Amino acid sequence: MSNTTDFTVVVKGASSSGGALHRLIKQIPIPLIPLLIFLAIFFFWPISEVALNAFKDNDGAYSFANIRLLFQDPYRLAFRNSISLGLISALVGSIFGLLIAIAIEKRGGAKLKKFVASISGVLANTGGVPLAFMFLAAFGPEGLMIKFLKVLGVNLYEWGFTLFSFPGLVIVYSYFQIPIMIIVFSPAVSSLRREWQESAENLGASRFAYWLRVGIPILLPSFLASFLLLFASAFSAFATARAMTVGNITLVPLVIGSLLDGNVTINQANLGYALALGMIVISILAMVPYLIIQSKTSKWQQ
Amino acid sequence: MYKVLSTVKNNFLTTGILLISALFLFLPLIGATEFSLRDGGPDKHSFHSYKWIFEQSGFKENLGITIQVTTLAVLLNLLIMVPTVTWLHISGQKYRRFVEVITILPLIIPVVALATGAQTALPSFLHNTVLELSFMYVVIAMPYSYRALDIGMSGKPLNTYVAAARNLGASWRKILLSVITPSIWPSVLAALFLTVALSLGEFTLAQLLHWNTFPTWVSNVSQENILGATALSVGSLFFAWLLLFTFTFFGSNKAESAKNEE
Repeated sequence: MSNTTDFTVVVKGASSSGGALHRLIKQIPIPLIPLLIFLAIFFFWPISEVALNAFKDNDGAYSFANIRLLFQDPYRLAFRNSISLGLISALVGSIFGLLIAIAIEKRGGAKLKKFVASISGVLANTGGVPLAFMFLAAFGPEGLMIKFLKVLGVNLYEWGFTLFSFPGLVIVYSYFQIPIMIIVFSPAVSSLRREWQESAENLGASRFAYWLRVGIPILLPSFLASFLLLFASAFSAFATARAMTVGNITLVPLVIGSLLDGNVTINQANLGYALALGMIVISILAMVPYLIIQSKTSKWQQ
Repeated sequence: MYKVLSTVKNNFLTTGILLISALFLFLPLIGATEFSLRDGGPDKHSFHSYKWIFEQSGFKENLGITIQVTTLAVLLNLLIMVPTVTWLHISGQKYRRFVEVITILPLIIPVVALATGAQTALPSFLHNTVLELSFMYVVIAMPYSYRALDIGMSGKPLNTYVAAARNLGASWRKILLSVITPSIWPSVLAALFLTVALSLGEFTLAQLLHWNTFPTWVSNVSQENILGATALSVGSLFFAWLLLFTFTFFGSNKAESAKNEE
């Protein structure tokens, strides 16, 4: 019962006019109420807590002090690193995922397709310490892969390679990013009909012209949408980043993590909220084009 | 001639892509498995490091906590989502777009940000129990479970089922349990397993809300013994994959054969 009271407190805090709110609540169909109360308590309440506290100084008075800090180093650097990690790993993941999705569509029998779909679903959920240690063991200085490459005459470590680096993170992230890409992009590839290519060829189009005029324009919206999804996934990854870096790369989720873990000096009490708000804003900005593309393509597909 | 050449070239290219991706998939796994079996030196192998896992204190306790949290999350998830999505398909069609949008939000908002807010939000009695994680896991699993159930119900004439059951005098509870749920069983299973997979491996919320679960325990003991940590990682990866793969591969088999029977 105390859940419901807490719920009304939150809603009152969000809206000042009680009468309009009352009418609005009356319009909500009863079967939706459990879901809405649940989301209100466990999703919208935490998010509004972030949004409110981000604009408070450490004594609880409203101010832009913590927001202003986001535009100064080291926090500005953390945002820049996280955004470029998101972009680069999304680029790598989406290109390789695209190639694999097309290869499977062209070559694959039903069995291979189902196998790849299953294994992608599994790998897309892999992350954190297990993934990090798998790569560290395989590509560490003593690992089998490094020895194997040495036999082939490639000494990665002589070239200054290390997994604890930006490229290292991109490689490890690919392990779950490529499968995500395969999952979300395969339906688009399957929707390319063979008849289209045949009719284009019958009309005298070269393979290149077919891809330029038909294939790419059809696939582009889904590709962009998938790219943005991969960006969001890499931008906000915490567990894998925490296991893979030794404090040498500043990423926003890691900074928030260390603030919440108690490494807080008095003048940073509300900084975590400001950083979290920054992440929310960037994620939403990245999803706006995604939603526009989605609604356009679904309209077009109907 | 040109056509033959280009097919050969094409096949070569696609085979190459598939081969390289298979290598990228399996080589790290093989490397890590070999590493985890090392005993003392690079040439001696045994299950020594795997035995080490079970000797660590906290293995059973933390696994137990994670299983508790997961069980509650799965139950809550199905309890909230199955009736809601059923209603959306039977008589709440005009709210489907709205629910679609609010259930995708937890996928867009970074979990780190959600955890930051959850520290000070939430009813206070929940902060005293590790089961608060279950409630948060229901939220972050919602984008997946909503979609799984929505897809499952889209192809079914639920209205006919419900009308038939009502005519025969069934109660709503009976309809949900013995008519709706069995008819969309594959997608209920999908929603269930997605929640299980997510809860078993979830690290961010557990760590940032200062709870000990199996994944945070793995992270802590990993710092003591690199061979043991690798064994633990390989072991938990294989376990999770086996679980998920069995489900996705055979689950979809079942769904398909059910479709063929119809």
